[in-house]
Amino acid sequence: MFQTPLQIAPARLSEILKVAEAAARAIPPAFPLDATVAVNPFLGQTGENLATASARLARVAGIRLTRSGEEYVAAIRKGEIGDADLTDALAASTAADKPADIESLKAAAETGGEEVGALPTIADLAADATGTDWPSIIEKTVGLWAAGQFDRGQALWSPTPGTEAFAAWRAWAVNDLTPEIAGLKGFCAHVSDAPDTAERAILRAADALGLDNVAAETAFHRLLMDLGGWSQHARWLLWQAELAGETDRTLVDLLAIRLIWEEALLAHVPQLRETWDTVVAAHAVPPVPSAHQVVLAILQDASDRAHQRRLARDLDGSAPSGNRPDLQAAFCIDVRSEVFRRALESINPGIETIGFAGFFGLPVAHRAHGSDVVEAHLPVLLNPGIETTSHVEDDSEQAVRIAARTTRAWGRFRQAAVSSFAFVEAAGPLYAAKLVRDALGLPKKTAHADPVPRVLGGLSAAAKADTASAVLKAMSMTKGHGKVVLLLGHAGHVTNNPHESAYHCGACGGHTGEVSARLLAVLLNDAETRSGLAGRGMAIPEDTVFLAGLHDTTTDEITLFEDSTVTAQADNLRTTRGWLKQAGRIARAERAPKLPGARFDTVAERALNWAEVRPEWGLAGCAAFIAGPRAATAGKNLGGRAFLHTYDWRNDEGFGTLELILTAPVVVASWISLQYYGSSVAPEVFGGGNKLIHNVVGGIGVIEGNSGRLRPGLPWQAVHDGRTLVHEPLRLSVMIEAPRAAILDVLRHHPEVRALFDNGWLHLFALENGQVDARYRPGLTWEDERPLIRAA
Amino acid sequence: MVSPVSLSFIAPLVLLAVALFALPSPGRRPGNLPLWSEYGALATLTLSAGGLLQFFVSGPMSLSVGEGAMKLALRANAVSLTLALLVGFIGWIVMRYSRTYLDGEAREGAFHGLMLATLAMVLIFVQSASLAMLVIASASVGLWLRQLLLFYAERQEARRAATKFALVWHGGDLALIVAVGLLFGAYGTAEIDALVAAASEAGLTVGANIALALLVVAACFKTAAFPLHGWLTEVMEAPTPVSALLHAGIINSGGVLLITVAGLVQLGPGAMAALVILGGFTALFGAAVMLTQSAVKTALAWSTVSQMGFMLLQCGLGLWPLALLHIVAHSLYKAHAFLSSGGAVQAVAVLKRPGPVAVPSLGAVLKSFVLAIVLYGVIAGLFTTVFGAKSAQALALGGILIFGVAYLVAQGLADMAPAELTRRTVLASLATAVSYFAFQAGAGAIWGPYLPAAPVPGPLEWALIVLAVASFGFVAFAQALFPLWAHHPATAGLRVHLVNGLYLNALLDRAIGGFRATKSS
Repeated sequence: MFQTPLQIAPARLSEILKVAEAAARAIPPAFPLDATVAVNPFLGQTGENLATASARLARVAGIRLTRSGEEYVAAIRKGEIGDADLTDALAASTAADKPADIESLKAAAETGGEEVGALPTIADLAADATGTDWPSIIEKTVGLWAAGQFDRGQALWSPTPGTEAFAAWRAWAVNDLTPEIAGLKGFCAHVSDAPDTAERAILRAADALGLDNVAAETAFHRLLMDLGGWSQHARWLLWQAELAGETDRTLVDLLAIRLIWEEALLAHVPQLRETWDTVVAAHAVPPVPSAHQVVLAILQDASDRAHQRRLARDLDGSAPSGNRPDLQAAFCIDVRSEVFRRALESINPGIETIGFAGFFGLPVAHRAHGSDVVEAHLPVLLNPGIETTSHVEDDSEQAVRIAARTTRAWGRFRQAAVSSFAFVEAAGPLYAAKLVRDALGLPKKTAHADPVPRVLGGLSAAAKADTASAVLKAMSMTKGHGKVVLLLGHAGHVTNNPHESAYHCGACGGHTGEVSARLLAVLLNDAETRSGLAGRGMAIPEDTVFLAGLHDTTTDEITLFEDSTVTAQADNLRTTRGWLKQAGRIARAERAPKLPGARFDTVAERALNWAEVRPEWGLAGCAAFIAGPRAATAGKNLGGRAFLHTYDWRNDEGFGTLELILTAPVVVASWISLQYYGSSVAPEVFGGGNKLIHNVVGGIGVIEGNSGRLRPGLPWQAVHDGRTLVHEPLRLSVMIEAPRAAILDVLRHHPEVRALFDNGWLHLFALENGQVDARYRPGLTWEDERPLIRAA
Repeated sequence: MVSPVSLSFIAPLVLLAVALFALPSPGRRPGNLPLWSEYGALATLTLSAGGLLQFFVSGPMSLSVGEGAMKLALRANAVSLTLALLVGFIGWIVMRYSRTYLDGEAREGAFHGLMLATLAMVLIFVQSASLAMLVIASASVGLWLRQLLLFYAERQEARRAATKFALVWHGGDLALIVAVGLLFGAYGTAEIDALVAAASEAGLTVGANIALALLVVAACFKTAAFPLHGWLTEVMEAPTPVSALLHAGIINSGGVLLITVAGLVQLGPGAMAALVILGGFTALFGAAVMLTQSAVKTALAWSTVSQMGFMLLQCGLGLWPLALLHIVAHSLYKAHAFLSSGGAVQAVAVLKRPGPVAVPSLGAVLKSFVLAIVLYGVIAGLFTTVFGAKSAQALALGGILIFGVAYLVAQGLADMAPAELTRRTVLASLATAVSYFAFQAGAGAIWGPYLPAAPVPGPLEWALIVLAVASFGFVAFAQALFPLWAHHPATAGLRVHLVNGLYLNALLDRAIGGFRATKSS
């Protein structure tokens, strides 16, 4: 990630920069809120197991990566975690100092552990020594600078665009008098004397702080964690740059900035040196889990196993599948689809549902109607490959733009100096009507759907057929098509919620699934596509019609888009709409009891309520990923907690689809599950904070209250209902119906995916005929699971 | 005069009665309390409207108990009822919002109780007819609001913000109390109407002059005017409805205080001049800082500082009905802005969609100013013909506002702007100009009879008018040219200082120990 310095660097410089890079990679990226997706907060720690990562993050952030001992004890008392789970988890642990038996494990859980506290920074030490709250001052001043630096258009007067972070901060800090007013005399001069590249500044500060290459690793990590979401935003910049084959230096710049502060404070309070040296010594020791951290990791494993035991009991074998379905409906693998799919299938035996990632395999870069902004509608692990647009040729394109530009000019008029007074006097009284409208949750305008999206430049007949056949293969939908096939994306309709995109489709890069679904429906109805598919031995019946739709996960209503010239027979369509409505009612009734204050008939109102902080539960509760034929899960109530991916290994020649599943949707699902996990067990570091005091900053994220750290992750209200955690923190159980050897083969070729399983960030099971058959053990081995299930 | 009791006097009692139900259930999910809070607020709104109806039927009403300095009195006239209606409306909106928003909070019940109690005190404040009533209501608002700011008392930032707020707010109360004592000493009455009458007749004594200065100080403290504005820009530490209530209701206290004693304030040219200077400076200062703020609620808070400064300027110019209009208009806008601030992510995301912003050149800006002034001449001429001549102050204010409209025109005149965009922005400018002249005419018609007319300007007033028009004009012009100079290296330092609000808050922090490390309680 670093550019090579121009002059030949001394060894020390390149070494310390390597350490800085390692620290930077220990930070997870945070995607801006306009199109946010879940990220594994332990992305930098997947090479270690939970206990070791706990030790590391306790040191650098003062957090616990599990629930507390008391919470596990409570679960044991309630019988949620059984002795069998504890026994198995204990046996599976490879820690040398693990408890001897489950009695001592339980006892260790009850005694509680040592207070988790991060190693202090110099700012922390200086606060103790001088009584001035340096950590808070740093948080505020760096936060104020960063808010402007990363602003995407909230403030009219932004810093000069295109300036690199370190240079921009230096220009800021030599002018900013706040640190000096707070008592740090000479800080502006200190900054002005600092080296003018981040690399040299890091080296100088590391020398001043006595950090050798060993101690620097967690010491740097500690400082980057101290900057909270700003570091994670910078890590996102790097993520995006690397996806495009480039690099980005912002995160290293942030480290240099934070180090300059440490350097200045040590010079300001030189008597800290002795204490600081002991801190440096502590950093020099590699993080090793304490006995209590080992115990907690085992208890977490037991907790995971308890869930797996219940799930395995529910998966009692495949149901026989029937004849050609009247209606097939493909949903996103999102756990929220599970409830709706079950509801829909319960209405009529002629309905069959399919699960596939909501971008339907189309790697789309899309421009919306009236928009120049390119949105990537695909999982963030991938690069877009198809350019699409909803622009139209006629005047409406221009009209939309003029309307948007007028609104924008009006917005600037409202915001600008002096004109804001004219705005208030002329338009202020009219806000009484807006207040009433929004307070009563009246809909603003009927939103028109964008014009149908199309591929820029069009596709050749061969390209159409190739794309279609690749997608259908990946969806395991090569035969047995129904008369009507719905392709349903999803979106969470919320009002006044900064985290709106977190309720949208993760597989579509935090956008709604509308564009992808409509593109695919049009493609699959296309005559050229159909004949090309037939030529490739994948004939689709003449009377099969594909229809795109959007599942609103807040209201459980489905909007259908009749984009194609071929369309379903009117009565087929009517029946379909009727079924969807009925399924919506069933799904809402199932969801209502979990939503505070909701009844089955008031669930949909939450979408329009501007004060609603829990419009729906998103993916809270997600715990399993099941890839297999729908027959394995059909009719089984999985409680909206499972990602369901349709997969039939018998049709997967060469196991290419299996490889795709393990390397893409499984990884995306793991990010989601671990984000919920992190936001639940360590909300102060990996959670988005309290929605009631959120303050949207720069259009990219939120801070709490009036200043400070950016808060990525899920807000507390997204995982907690006020009384209890709604998301039970579990590591995802991935269950795949495929031959054991084939699965191992894929893992062998993808060490980064294998690491997730080997280090226990995910669990892996092989299914056979819809029943759990074997559990994956680190080191590419399987353990027969069935006897254990029977015993439980 | 014995008159029937105005329904608006009963309104605060309803709120306090519901607030009592919060006492036994201060915790999470307190049964029907949130629902009753909303209904209580709705009842308050209805009662205030009823009071207005009574006023139309039978004229102003008042109610008083006690005698002498401690006389407590309420009044219901066009001014106080407008404010009561405003508070009732905002109250209903925020209580309805809180019903959903606060659901599941550990201190949910207490929140509703505190909000209702605060609202009740604000309602009493805006209807006060005696100095003692003003003092008691104002101090109580401060006490309850401080509790609300400490809703998350475990947050150090919240405790700091609450401390700072209490210091400034109650500092204002102290100034108010001393002023009340001096005024009572000078004129022997604490009833506001009687006081104004006595002072107009006897002239201002030395004590009364000091009292006037203290009233201005109190108003400036409570409107977060420069240089003690810092408390307002930090109070986003409480849940959003508190911010909405604060920025749409409580912050008006300073203005309401001045309007309530307008007849008295207008007797002191020094007090009026101070209001023009402090208010005008705060307006420009706040607006400039607002431009640089990247956090939506923080920007809104600076906008309030600025708007309240503008309101003080209007008071200082003797444009009392316009100041009241500004309070009403700003409250409605700002309540909505805070409550809907969660939409800021979307709002920023759509900015870039229709392509780059067309930047107006110097020529376009000059053209737009000429156009705006012509527009002003035409509309002002029309309104003068219909509604009669305007005071010099009102004309000057109109000029200031039209400079703002020029910015809207300028955006449409930018070279890169398509003709259709130009047409729309010009139409919007026209609508804006007509709309505010109409609102101002309305304000004059409704409240004019109950408030003093703007004084005939002398040399001092003229000097201030010219200063105000010139400085607002300059800032407006610079603003319109903004994209041409904002990123020049020479302005980088200026931007840093402005983002920091010229460090006044940091200096205040230093003075009151806001930088000290404290252990969380």
